[in-house]
Amino acid sequence: MAMPLLRWTQVRWLALPLVLVPLGWLLFTGLGRDPSVIPSPLVGHPLPSFAATTLQGTSFSAAQLAGRPAIVNVWASWCNPCIDEHPVLLDTATRHGSEVQLVGIVYQDTPEGARDFLARYGDGGWPNLLDPSGRIAVDLGVTGPPETFFVDASGIVRARHVGPLTADEMAAQLTALGLAP
Amino acid sequence: MIPTLGHLAVVIGLAATVYAAGAFIVGGRSGDSALLASARRAMYAAFALVAFACLAMIASLLGHDFSVLYVARNNATTTPPFYSVISLWAALEGSILFWTLLATGWASLVLYRYRARLPALMPWVGATLALGTAFFFAVMAWPSDPFVRVTPIGLEGNGPNALLQNHPFMGLHPPLLYLGYTGMAIPFAFGMAALITRRTDEEWLAVVRRWTLVPWIFLTMGIVAGAWWSYAVLGWGGYWAWDPVENAALLPWLTATAFIHSSMVAERRGTLRTWTHALVIATFVLTLVGTFLTRSGVVVSVHAFTTSGIGIWFASAILLTLGVALGLLIWRLPELGDRRPPGAVVSRESAFLFNNVLFLVITFAVLFGTLYPVMVEVTGGSRATVGAPWFNLVNAPIFVALLFLTGVGPALPWGGASWATVRERFAIPILAAVGVVVAAWALGVPAAAPLAILGLATFVLVVMGDEVVRGARARSRGRGEGLPLALVRLATRNRRRYGGYLAHAGICVMAVAIAVSATLGADKIATLHRGETLTLGAYTLTYDRLVTERLAADPRVVETRAELTLAGPQSGALTTALRDYPNSTSAIATPAVRTALGEDLYVTLLAYDATAKTVTLHVLVNPLVMWIWAGGGIVALGALFAIWPDRRRTAFEAALAAGA
Amino acid sequence: MRRLALPIAMAALLALGALVLITALRPAPALTQAEQAQQIAGELRCPDCQSLSVAESQTAAAAAIRRQIVDLLAAGQTPEQVRRHFVESYGEWILLTPGSPLVWWLPAAALLVGIGLLAWWLRRGRSIAVSVEPPPSDGVRSRIRDEVEQLDG
Repeated sequence: MAMPLLRWTQVRWLALPLVLVPLGWLLFTGLGRDPSVIPSPLVGHPLPSFAATTLQGTSFSAAQLAGRPAIVNVWASWCNPCIDEHPVLLDTATRHGSEVQLVGIVYQDTPEGARDFLARYGDGGWPNLLDPSGRIAVDLGVTGPPETFFVDASGIVRARHVGPLTADEMAAQLTALGLAP
Repeated sequence: MIPTLGHLAVVIGLAATVYAAGAFIVGGRSGDSALLASARRAMYAAFALVAFACLAMIASLLGHDFSVLYVARNNATTTPPFYSVISLWAALEGSILFWTLLATGWASLVLYRYRARLPALMPWVGATLALGTAFFFAVMAWPSDPFVRVTPIGLEGNGPNALLQNHPFMGLHPPLLYLGYTGMAIPFAFGMAALITRRTDEEWLAVVRRWTLVPWIFLTMGIVAGAWWSYAVLGWGGYWAWDPVENAALLPWLTATAFIHSSMVAERRGTLRTWTHALVIATFVLTLVGTFLTRSGVVVSVHAFTTSGIGIWFASAILLTLGVALGLLIWRLPELGDRRPPGAVVSRESAFLFNNVLFLVITFAVLFGTLYPVMVEVTGGSRATVGAPWFNLVNAPIFVALLFLTGVGPALPWGGASWATVRERFAIPILAAVGVVVAAWALGVPAAAPLAILGLATFVLVVMGDEVVRGARARSRGRGEGLPLALVRLATRNRRRYGGYLAHAGICVMAVAIAVSATLGADKIATLHRGETLTLGAYTLTYDRLVTERLAADPRVVETRAELTLAGPQSGALTTALRDYPNSTSAIATPAVRTALGEDLYVTLLAYDATAKTVTLHVLVNPLVMWIWAGGGIVALGALFAIWPDRRRTAFEAALAAGA
Repeated sequence: MRRLALPIAMAALLALGALVLITALRPAPALTQAEQAQQIAGELRCPDCQSLSVAESQTAAAAAIRRQIVDLLAAGQTPEQVRRHFVESYGEWILLTPGSPLVWWLPAAALLVGIGLLAWWLRRGRSIAVSVEPPPSDGVRSRIRDEVEQLDG
């Protein structure tokens, strides 16, 4: 028994959903996202090792972070948003300085510039590593300062934050690291 | 007061366009000419209203009225008047206002010109245009109101986007581009009208062809001016980065170009009606998609405007437009069958159609590449990038094939070509091309890509030159006219054909310039102390001094410039600068560009050390770059020649005739 | 002479093509480290700018990556290892050409489908009516037609 052949004039309306449904899905799901947020491949992996001289002239390496949670903040004196987030970092240092180790990476900056910045906006006393060539930052996958990495006690990167941290975001990240905000 | 009036004008404009749409539809069904006339007047009124709203915005910008949020965000007390005025299109809300101005302007122009013609089509053309502009008025009335006020009123505004206030080109390239984008609504409106009234005839095709070419000229110039802006402002020495905003302009250009070619086949052979309709619809929908992509924050782009709530509006409008248009087309599909069969495989028709295939493949590739990151992400993948290396590799071979067709098409006759014709038409162009390639190679052009493009361009130009000479000789013999007069008459009697040739000649110039500038340039990065020199090719640059000062025109901007002395071609003083804008985290480069017929010298200040007074310079020699802009100009001129209204006898011709 | 023009032209074209093929197939000289670095920089996305490669950009991150490419190559890494190094810290996002083969196959498939549709359309057209435009029997006839066409565009 031969099936009656469908003529194209009968099925032509199928073209409409075939075009509109995928396009609509793409447009509307595409809307709900922010393309400028790039997830870091480091999250869930150990923090890359680094070693550099601090502003005080001592040497510091990533190995010294082992044993307790750490916050690695990439900043520069030429970075305006870094000024906005600095009080949040200072506050975290005063309240959680004993539970969490803060480390600054001074990205493509001069020691003088960095010292001026700290003198003006407050020095929390945590080590600030000089990274004039940007090598440490590139290994961390930094696009531009400020960027902050949250590392747990076993040295695994738990989160990366791009842009200036607000007090709320800091509190959320601290909670995620198992610290009371 | 002024901003309130501006807002009021927008709201009344919305009402006017909605009324116009309704009156056009009712009038179209009943044939009530008084109602249709009132609908037209409503559209003229909408144009006047949005023009008033634009003036209100410009007045607010010039008066630094920071009670208007748009002004507070995009203007400062120190902004020079020129940049205040062009800030009208420097950010999202203002650009939609400006867009609406141009869209209603085009609509009014078309409705006025055809007020007494095409009585069956025009009501539906009007209805489509009115609905389209009503959408933009609605966007301004709700999610993207340009006249939103703020309290408390700041004493100082944020200033315009640093990138967009750095070069006067910003006053030229967006208006051209927007004129192209908004104008593409006209062929779409005629397409909808033809589908509704079932009048897809030769007259329709001629009107749509003309009204596709008009915005096409602006789109072409807008794209070229955008590339030039990118070259003159962004400081990386290139002009095309396949950024989403560039792709957004290219996509409708590609489908419109495909339409211009296939419409000639359609006109000559009374065929391809479904296809021409599909291209007209695709072109308009792609202008919307382009606007959506770059304005909704779905993809990141050079000047993606701030993410805002208009994304949902645009996505809905795209789906609705495409749904209605495609639905109409599918509905009428059984009536749009081909009346006549296409020509032979070796014929001008098939060359044109192959051209269409290639244009559509490029359109697909560019759209796919632009959307690929979004697709990867919504299907659960991570972030992906599709950049220039991919776009170049995929599209360059297709563009080369298109260039080849540019020569093949005009050489083949309509219907089908005999072996004798092929032999006669192709032998000399191929020999000329081989000769030029060998000569260029002997003269030291080393790379394969520019040689190949040079050969192809020669082939195309000789084919066209042969055609022109052949035609002029025939006319000269047949009518006893002198050869120059015969040439002018031939061209002005066949404007479309010879305008097309001129446009193709422009494409050849651009192709060679792009191939050469992309492969045969040179560059060097060096850090210099005062008095040191840098040599690249024939140029020697001496670094004299570093100056940091505030701009006289806008004291909020600090300019640090390296003053250099140039020895070699175009010797003299040269300055290249970095500008620090208070609202930009990174300094904006102001490259020094010395343009010459053969090559440009392009110097960017990458970095400087204020204490050691050293500068790091990026110096590029970009060959033939100015021919890219010149070629674009020739393309536009050719298209303009093609659509220029015919006059039987021009003064120039009369003079030639008298002399002959 | 006229009859020989096209064969001569084709022969010249073929000779040129053969010459190009021979030059193209000749093994390219090994790239210097600086050239390799430039090539890799052209394939990596500048992280803190739009649509530009690391090679083209002047931003801080691009400069840092350029320096590191040179360092890694000098340390004896292969270009592929260098690329992987950046993918590990930035993700696939840093590559300007996505790794998925889909991005190559899809445009190629689109081209094939387009050519296929065109061929189908042209064939169908010829089967509708063969006699609409009979092939010209000789060169004179086509010349006349072409001349007429020249005159009326």
